[in-house]
Amino acid sequence: MDLTPNKLWIRILAATAFLFAAIAVCLLIGSVPVSLFDALRGPTHDGQSNIPYEIIVHYRLPRMVLAAIIGAALAASGCVFQAILRNPLADPYILGISSGAGLGTLAAVLLGWSWTVFGMSAMMLTAFAGALATTWLVWGVGRAAGRANITGLLLAGVVVNAFLSSVIMFLTSIARADQVQTTMFWLMGSISEMQQVEVIAASGLLTAAGVGVLLRLGPSLNMLSFGADEAAALGLSVSRTCAAAFAVAALMTSLAVCLGGLVGFVGLIVPHAVRLVAGPDHRQLIPVSALVGAAFVVIADTVARVVVAPAMLPVGVVTAMVGGPFFLILLVRYMRNLHWQVK
Amino acid sequence: MSLIEIKSVSFAYGTQKVLDKLSFSVQENDFLAILGPNGAGKTTLVHLLAGLLKPQSGRIQIDGKSIRAYSRAELAGKIAMVRQGTTPTFGFTVRQTVMMARYFAGGRNLFETRQDCAIVEQALEMTDTRRFADRPLHALSGGERQRVFIARALAQQTPVLLLDEPTSHLDLKHQIGIFELLKNLRHNERKTVIVVSHDLNLVQHYAEMYLLLADDGRTLYQRDGGGLPAATIESFFGVTGVEGTLAGRKVFVPTGIADRHNGVQ
Amino acid sequence: MLNVGETTGDAFKRSVWVLAVMSIVLLFGCREQTNPTEPVADGAMRIVSMAPNLTEILFALGLDDEVVGVTRHCNYPPQALTKPKIGTFWQPDVEAVLAGRPTLVIAEDFAQQRQLTEQLERLGCATLTVKIETIAQLYDGILSIGQAVGRIEQAQTLISRLKAAQDVLQTSIADQPPLKVLWVIQRQPLRVAGTKTFINEMIEAVGGVNAIGPTVNVYPPISAEDVIAAWPDVIIEPANMPNSREAQTRSAGEFYAAFRSVPAVRNKRVYVIDGDLVSRLSPRLDQSLAEIARCLRQD
Repeated sequence: MDLTPNKLWIRILAATAFLFAAIAVCLLIGSVPVSLFDALRGPTHDGQSNIPYEIIVHYRLPRMVLAAIIGAALAASGCVFQAILRNPLADPYILGISSGAGLGTLAAVLLGWSWTVFGMSAMMLTAFAGALATTWLVWGVGRAAGRANITGLLLAGVVVNAFLSSVIMFLTSIARADQVQTTMFWLMGSISEMQQVEVIAASGLLTAAGVGVLLRLGPSLNMLSFGADEAAALGLSVSRTCAAAFAVAALMTSLAVCLGGLVGFVGLIVPHAVRLVAGPDHRQLIPVSALVGAAFVVIADTVARVVVAPAMLPVGVVTAMVGGPFFLILLVRYMRNLHWQVK
Repeated sequence: MSLIEIKSVSFAYGTQKVLDKLSFSVQENDFLAILGPNGAGKTTLVHLLAGLLKPQSGRIQIDGKSIRAYSRAELAGKIAMVRQGTTPTFGFTVRQTVMMARYFAGGRNLFETRQDCAIVEQALEMTDTRRFADRPLHALSGGERQRVFIARALAQQTPVLLLDEPTSHLDLKHQIGIFELLKNLRHNERKTVIVVSHDLNLVQHYAEMYLLLADDGRTLYQRDGGGLPAATIESFFGVTGVEGTLAGRKVFVPTGIADRHNGVQ
Repeated sequence: MLNVGETTGDAFKRSVWVLAVMSIVLLFGCREQTNPTEPVADGAMRIVSMAPNLTEILFALGLDDEVVGVTRHCNYPPQALTKPKIGTFWQPDVEAVLAGRPTLVIAEDFAQQRQLTEQLERLGCATLTVKIETIAQLYDGILSIGQAVGRIEQAQTLISRLKAAQDVLQTSIADQPPLKVLWVIQRQPLRVAGTKTFINEMIEAVGGVNAIGPTVNVYPPISAEDVIAAWPDVIIEPANMPNSREAQTRSAGEFYAAFRSVPAVRNKRVYVIDGDLVSRLSPRLDQSLAEIARCLRQD
């Protein structure tokens, strides 16, 4: 059961193949029936732009790539938060990121900001800023509670979450109905389409880099599963490693929230599913979860696009409806095995 | 120069003083036993030695260097700690657990080298845990898990082994086994062993140096082997008992609780 | 919830009694006045309007001094801006309403306003609830309000005028093929007016057809690909805030460039129009229809 470089590569390749297969299939599914044959005729056809080609390449493909990036970022971050907090129920939003992003978005909507930067709307950027700021706040409050104190961090998250939620409630009560609906819908997870190539490329690179860093931190995260003291006794600088992992995971989560709102359950379920199949070693868990998470969101997004066509469901709704029951099954299974009896 | 030097170390949890100006030293290749009743500060001392706690006053030096000057990784290369372990949140196997010791000890390679694997196998062999090497930790009994944590400490390959009640959950066979193992490591590999234990008789047989901590702040450091006098044991542990010699081994059997006011009953 | 000394049986009987009494009270205690037919004496009229389009109707019927309370969003006609405010459409302020000592409160048939009207009824104030979600309901509403405030003639004149305007438009486009209209109410995420809206009715009234097919949602969010599938001939965006019309027009070019293959964008038929006007069913229906028709007609 040792993890050799070869074994890891094989598993990563398998997961990548799964992701590509998912994208390939989902590219051909949508509210507009498109035949691959037509699309392959190229960008122009009979002097006019080839609609099937345009749909697949300019609409579906960028959206799939974004969905994959979001899924990868959330799944990898989920692994990290579960490891740092030693809590199998942790997800990327547990430390207040969701309410921070929500507040940012609501503020942008209430202030009537409709400017865009590089094609990214004000809502996206304020969500990003809100998420990051909240992370920083929670980390600061948690540290004040004690060096690398996990309980302190969790409590800080709960407190900040509660406070921000109350601010959101207040703003919601004075907002107009359409403003509230705008915010709510975006927050439920809607993968923004028509992002510029630069944005997609930059996000992809950032996420890949993040996953790479976390992979390198894999052995350290393994040690953290035994608790801060034990990890320290094995040689780990706990606070530095936690801070680094936390920062990377928070950045990736904020990026995901910026691009697609609050897509839930991915960061919670995918790490568990991958652990069930491939074991808890983070050197493997992180890259494979990233790839599986990517595929999951790609598929969920396709379902969201198609199930009430020509309308669209928020992606978060689909991930929740799939994730919820799956989580219940996981919970029952785990309770039976009591995997996380911490003595 | 002593391997480990404790100079006038005091530690308190909030206002509750646990250690008061404790001073002693540990030489290379010592087998030191730390003894005392509950709450006397044994585990606190272990944590201080492992660098997990900072004393409010006093100095701890390892190899002539202040413990504060060591990085986490450097310290883990000097002292391996075994204590009342926890089960990890996720289902790591025995082999994976022991392998974690090799990361910092072996140069932070992302993947374990062949040498790492050999060291781990040897550690598993020495603690008789090889036969369930592929089982997840939570599927073991408390005693089996304890041996795994000892194996992990061995895999760190440090000159000092610091063990907090390593045999508390073990059956008789494994209790002896572990102490024999420690003795061999001390003699064959010149390791320094520091053990906290409640098992007086085992300790008296294997250890050569004793540090007694009483819950009223008294300490006693004894460097000559040959066991502890009954009066000392009675005084520090608050019991009455009888001592004797069986097959050449010093034995102490407690017989009652000491009356504090009148001294020994 | 047993009281001291009660057995379960007693508690059960007690609950049944309470439920019975409550049901009787609820059954007989609620009265909803939806169609008061006697007009109130002229000089004593003090009317509060709970929605912008209701305010417009009151003023269109010739009332002005009689209107003593309007919502904060009532911005037409200009005289409405000077009237005392009684909260918003979504959150009416009961106290402000009562402070105006109204003889009649006119509300829309929405849950938030139902609570208000029930409260007012209990306090002895007359209310009139109208439901204006289609053009036909607009005409009915104008008539009901006209009857309630004693302006039946003016109501009928107004209705005739609007109907006439509608007919004119209807005949002028009778032989033209219907243009597909995409009505964008929000860009990010992209949301449009669906087939169940009054906007859809207005589009069809001027000879257009909704580019989006039937959907579950009333205002469905759609994906970029659905825009292609819709293949609209015309895109109409109501400016969502009074001052944002220019900004939206300027950014529309950049935003819709992503859909350059659809006819609406290719032929530069993207229009940003006055959102206030077209987002409510009001006596200015003729202006709304004219504005929409203008977008469809420009060639």
